[in-house]
Amino acid sequence: MAIKSYDVAIIGAGIVGTMTAFMIGKYKIKCAVLEAGIDVASGTTRANSAIIHAGYDAHEGSLKAKLNVRGSRLVGPIAKQLGVHYNKCGSLVIGYNEKDLEHLRLLLVRGKKNGVRGLEIIEQDRLREMEPNVSKDAKYALYAPSAGIVCPYDLAYAVSENSATNGVDYYFEYKVDKIDYNEVNKLYTISANDKTIKAKYVVNAAGLYSDEIAEILGDKLPFKIIPRRGEYMLLDKSEGKTANHTLFVTPSEKGKGILVSPTVDGNIIVGPNANVVESKADTGVTSEGLSEIAEGARSIVPDINLDAIITTFAGVRATPTSGDFYIRESEKFPKFVHAAGIESPGLAASPAIAEYIVNILRNSGLKFKEKEDYITTRTAEGNCKLFYDMSESEREKAIKKDPRYGKMVCRCEMVTEGDIVNAIRRPISAHTVDMVKRRTRAGMGRCQGGYCRAKVAEIIAKELNISVSEVKKFSSNSNILCGRTKRI
Amino acid sequence: MMKKKLVIIGSGPSGIVCALNVYKSGIKAEDILIIEREDELGGTLNLCIHQGFGKNELTGTEMASELSALVKKNNIPYLVGTTVISITKEKIITAVSPTLGYTKIQADAIVLATGCRERSRGGLSIGGTRPAGIASAGTVQRFVNIEGYLPGKKTVIIGSTDIALIIARRLSLEGGQVLFVCDTRAKPQAHKTDISECLDYFGTPLKLRTTVTRIFGKERVEAIEIADLDKDGKLIKGTKQKIECDSLVYSCGFLPEIELMQEVGIEIKKLTHGPKTDKRLETNVDGIFACGNARIIHDDVEDVMADGKRAGKGVSDYLWFLNKRDRIREEER
Repeated sequence: MAIKSYDVAIIGAGIVGTMTAFMIGKYKIKCAVLEAGIDVASGTTRANSAIIHAGYDAHEGSLKAKLNVRGSRLVGPIAKQLGVHYNKCGSLVIGYNEKDLEHLRLLLVRGKKNGVRGLEIIEQDRLREMEPNVSKDAKYALYAPSAGIVCPYDLAYAVSENSATNGVDYYFEYKVDKIDYNEVNKLYTISANDKTIKAKYVVNAAGLYSDEIAEILGDKLPFKIIPRRGEYMLLDKSEGKTANHTLFVTPSEKGKGILVSPTVDGNIIVGPNANVVESKADTGVTSEGLSEIAEGARSIVPDINLDAIITTFAGVRATPTSGDFYIRESEKFPKFVHAAGIESPGLAASPAIAEYIVNILRNSGLKFKEKEDYITTRTAEGNCKLFYDMSESEREKAIKKDPRYGKMVCRCEMVTEGDIVNAIRRPISAHTVDMVKRRTRAGMGRCQGGYCRAKVAEIIAKELNISVSEVKKFSSNSNILCGRTKRI
Repeated sequence: MMKKKLVIIGSGPSGIVCALNVYKSGIKAEDILIIEREDELGGTLNLCIHQGFGKNELTGTEMASELSALVKKNNIPYLVGTTVISITKEKIITAVSPTLGYTKIQADAIVLATGCRERSRGGLSIGGTRPAGIASAGTVQRFVNIEGYLPGKKTVIIGSTDIALIIARRLSLEGGQVLFVCDTRAKPQAHKTDISECLDYFGTPLKLRTTVTRIFGKERVEAIEIADLDKDGKLIKGTKQKIECDSLVYSCGFLPEIELMQEVGIEIKKLTHGPKTDKRLETNVDGIFACGNARIIHDDVEDVMADGKRAGKGVSDYLWFLNKRDRIREEER
């Protein structure tokens, strides 16, 4: 088979890689995204706090500060364009004493210098009015009305679906193990196992593994990436009123600390802690870690109902020892851009990071000519609105057009067979139980798939014309079943 | 808009018994409607292929067909494959189905017989990874009993409820190996006879005061770690051991299905997680009743049916008064 050749290859389909592909997808540029996992958003993007930070945390003048503030303003319009749930709910950093207040003032000054709008320090009365459940010991808060919440993997799905619709090729289970640069024809050859593609420009957006990609190239990042695991708990929608804003404690050297926040889907998220782990893939939770975040949450909201936990999970962040984002062309290899050390607020900054990468590519010679037939939605048919999000008349129409929208599969989250079939048939097909779950929310409610898991597996099997026992949870060896029962 | 005197949501044993009793009380069959989200009447009974239901020790599926035969014999109208997505205080029901589409029904009274759902394992807070091979008891019942697939070949079961034991037996019968059933409690939740029939007979050990502390495995479950608990429920040091297995089934008990109740403002009791009801099983919302496992989790199907009967009586009285009130108003006019 002939080796495919691209203008740009992006390594990594996390939020940075997919956002970059989304920006590139508007232009007449042949682009490929190479992802080691089975799906978009398989790494840090899948499990984080889901916050669009306002931008008062990062030090003045840092790349982090600049891209955070710019990115947080771009998320809203993109979310609107692609039908992604985004809620500009605002955030509150809570202070308990004079020392905290001093720190809040520092954040206020820093935020203003960074260009964050609307920041103010509020006192106890107003804080309690805004957040009736917050600890009585909370005396002050830094209020950032521009902060928001988003579903991080849905944002990544939306931008990747739009780019795939506009001609960007996605390769999954493409774990890059070799990168060669040919100085004569100025092409990079990027291989994974037996697969190979060529590209003129390469973007290293491999997140936790961006240092390893640099090494495979024969380059070296000027810092180390430390994998830090953060554990989380998710509470039932019944507790959705626990907090109206994202609630932080005054930060310490260890990071932004444990937060309590609403999610765009109406749950409450609690976490994360921050523990250095040996393996970048260590997304396991620990009972000690869960107790730690439970305690942290109670210090913010003493009466938080932790009996309503519906699931626990952990994500690993790529913390650079340098403390700042590192986005620049390699000094050794031309037209090879590293986007590394992207930890929090990477999600909020992601559209600005993508813009920044696009600028580097442009400055090093890539031509950006707009497509005349650019499709603005996720797929040519639109934004794949879920039944749950439809209005009454839209629901009526959807069922008339496709009766499968009248078949309820997940009762907790109101997901229909039509939603699931649509997710399986999108440009990046949801062909596993977890892929369907994250795209449709089937199995994300309070019974955590107890009722619908088997039904989802049956629908996947039917759509893909395979046996139910071949259906996977997430990766190639994660079959949910192990074979037939003993039959008569 | 379709109009009905009574709409019963759910066709499990409590819903059907309620319908039959309302019919017997003199309400016309055509004024009743049963709505069922699955494609067959019978509710969770259809997942239960084991014996022990009712006086005649029927299987769950046999009992489901007996009950649905009575519904059909009395010409009580029903909709299957139809899911109610909301109810209002004015007793307008919104339902969806592939055949009917998006439908609204006006009822004089509603009985919520929506059954229960499994508790998720979220509250278990087990450490480690979340690979494939972890499933709830209900999911396993559907895969094994309806689809004919095994969730694993070497299984550990968490929870000593009767349903956990029935699954242990089913997996043993279907060619799987159940390493043991464990529970953090000092006493099993199920009856002694269940333990002898479902575990002892197959040589499956029951480990009490045992907790699962960790799950291992990247893609499929590869092993778990268990530890012993002392009488205060604290881990006993030095008792942790790693056990190789390929699947983990959990049965953490059940919660009433209250999804429809919360939106309409029905008061939920903290203790039962179900709705607050009066003597005749009416909730705080006028004309909306609840019965069966949707009201409170019952241990036995006969209790569920008794609850359905009680709600049937309650709602018949309610409709009788409503009818009388309307007639008086008519005469006054």
